[in-house]
Amino acid sequence: MEQDEFFGEKAFQHCCAEFIKHSQLIGDGWEWRTSKDCSDGYMCKTHLQIKNGTVAPRPRPSAHEQTGLPMEEAAELALDDAEAAEVPAVSPVIRYEYHVLYSCSFQVPVLYFRASFLDGRPLTLEDIWEGVHECYRTRLLQGPWDTITQQMVAMAGAVPIQSQEPGGSFFQVSHEHPILGQPFFVLHPCKTNEFMTPVLKNPQKINRNINYVTSWLSVVGPVVGLNLPLSYAQAASQDM
Amino acid sequence: MTDDKDVLRDVWFGRIPTCFTLCQDEITEREAEPYYNFPEKDLLHCPSKDAIEAHFMSCMKEADALKHKSQVINEMQKKDHKQLWMGLQNDRFDQFWAINRKLMEYPAEESGFRYIPFRIYQTTTERPFIQKLFRPVAADGQLHTLGDLLKEVCPSAIAPEDGGKKNQVMIHGIEPMLETPLQWLSEHLSYPDNFLHISIIPQPTD
Repeated sequence: MEQDEFFGEKAFQHCCAEFIKHSQLIGDGWEWRTSKDCSDGYMCKTHLQIKNGTVAPRPRPSAHEQTGLPMEEAAELALDDAEAAEVPAVSPVIRYEYHVLYSCSFQVPVLYFRASFLDGRPLTLEDIWEGVHECYRTRLLQGPWDTITQQMVAMAGAVPIQSQEPGGSFFQVSHEHPILGQPFFVLHPCKTNEFMTPVLKNPQKINRNINYVTSWLSVVGPVVGLNLPLSYAQAASQDM
Repeated sequence: MTDDKDVLRDVWFGRIPTCFTLCQDEITEREAEPYYNFPEKDLLHCPSKDAIEAHFMSCMKEADALKHKSQVINEMQKKDHKQLWMGLQNDRFDQFWAINRKLMEYPAEESGFRYIPFRIYQTTTERPFIQKLFRPVAADGQLHTLGDLLKEVCPSAIAPEDGGKKNQVMIHGIEPMLETPLQWLSEHLSYPDNFLHISIIPQPTD
């Protein structure tokens, strides 16, 4: 009865474990969080970015540990260094949070994300979208984004963002995080199977290993400002 | 206009009918914005009807993903989706059910949906709800009941606690019998978004 499970929760957790192993190797900041009362969990990453698009330097672990300051304050210490370099003095810092959860309804991973200023004020979808546009405009102009976004336009259940750019309509719904209960934006999972199936079929033909979560995140991540270094893919092809 | 305070007082108290026109320089550019301390971090904001429609359709899609692997809802045309929303919005039972009944059907060779869309809400946990995969029919062909569901995904809800304090299991404000088949509940007692929203409430002590 369960053989028709395309990508089950156990497979998801295994892929995440492999993904996080690599993240720890390259210091990419992903971690696994479990919910207090249940065995399920999710991957989580936070990064800070100055609003004009420059990525804030990652706080050195020593600053965080030695000073005992919370992560944001340690980052501001690091930012002071950056400001001394070239960054304009008055640029708001934005805290992006990405969560990768498993949807048992759609049997695929789902990307939840939110952004806020350091004082906790949340950003609107338009603000987030603006930030992403600057960094990833070229990538978004290429296919297969146009196809995916056009298919998603046909789907009810999402709020399209009006934009003049091709590939500029993207689909996020403000949603309650199933474990934390707070509002997040979500990339709707209903089309994930469609674009992941060809991704999975090819490696099977040439007998190469891939990590579903890595491949999926490398497709959806960039649209919301999340980039995956290439080394993840190299690591995946070497895994069991 | 007069400076006479008595006349102005009469105008103020509505004893003299008057009609005022503002001069251009008396008109402010924008209205004062109301100040709301909306807890953005904790609550979903509903900025427009479109946002609510989007959210509703998203729930419908998820319910059908569980029931029919999304086949039924994806086969529908955009106007059918629109009819579901308009029927709900305008309280038109027949309009809504003309389409929704298709989402309540299942293949003749099956005994029910693939999985039952449900969410269980409790006050005892920080987690917003419990939602898991659960089949309406057991391997031996027996129909699962509401009690079976709770025993499997939320045993604390029906286990008697110390002091014999029991919980109420509510759907739509009523307590269905725990022996009720889950498939029947899903077809007949689901909310408009096609989910069974089940509340676990501590028994009132009076």
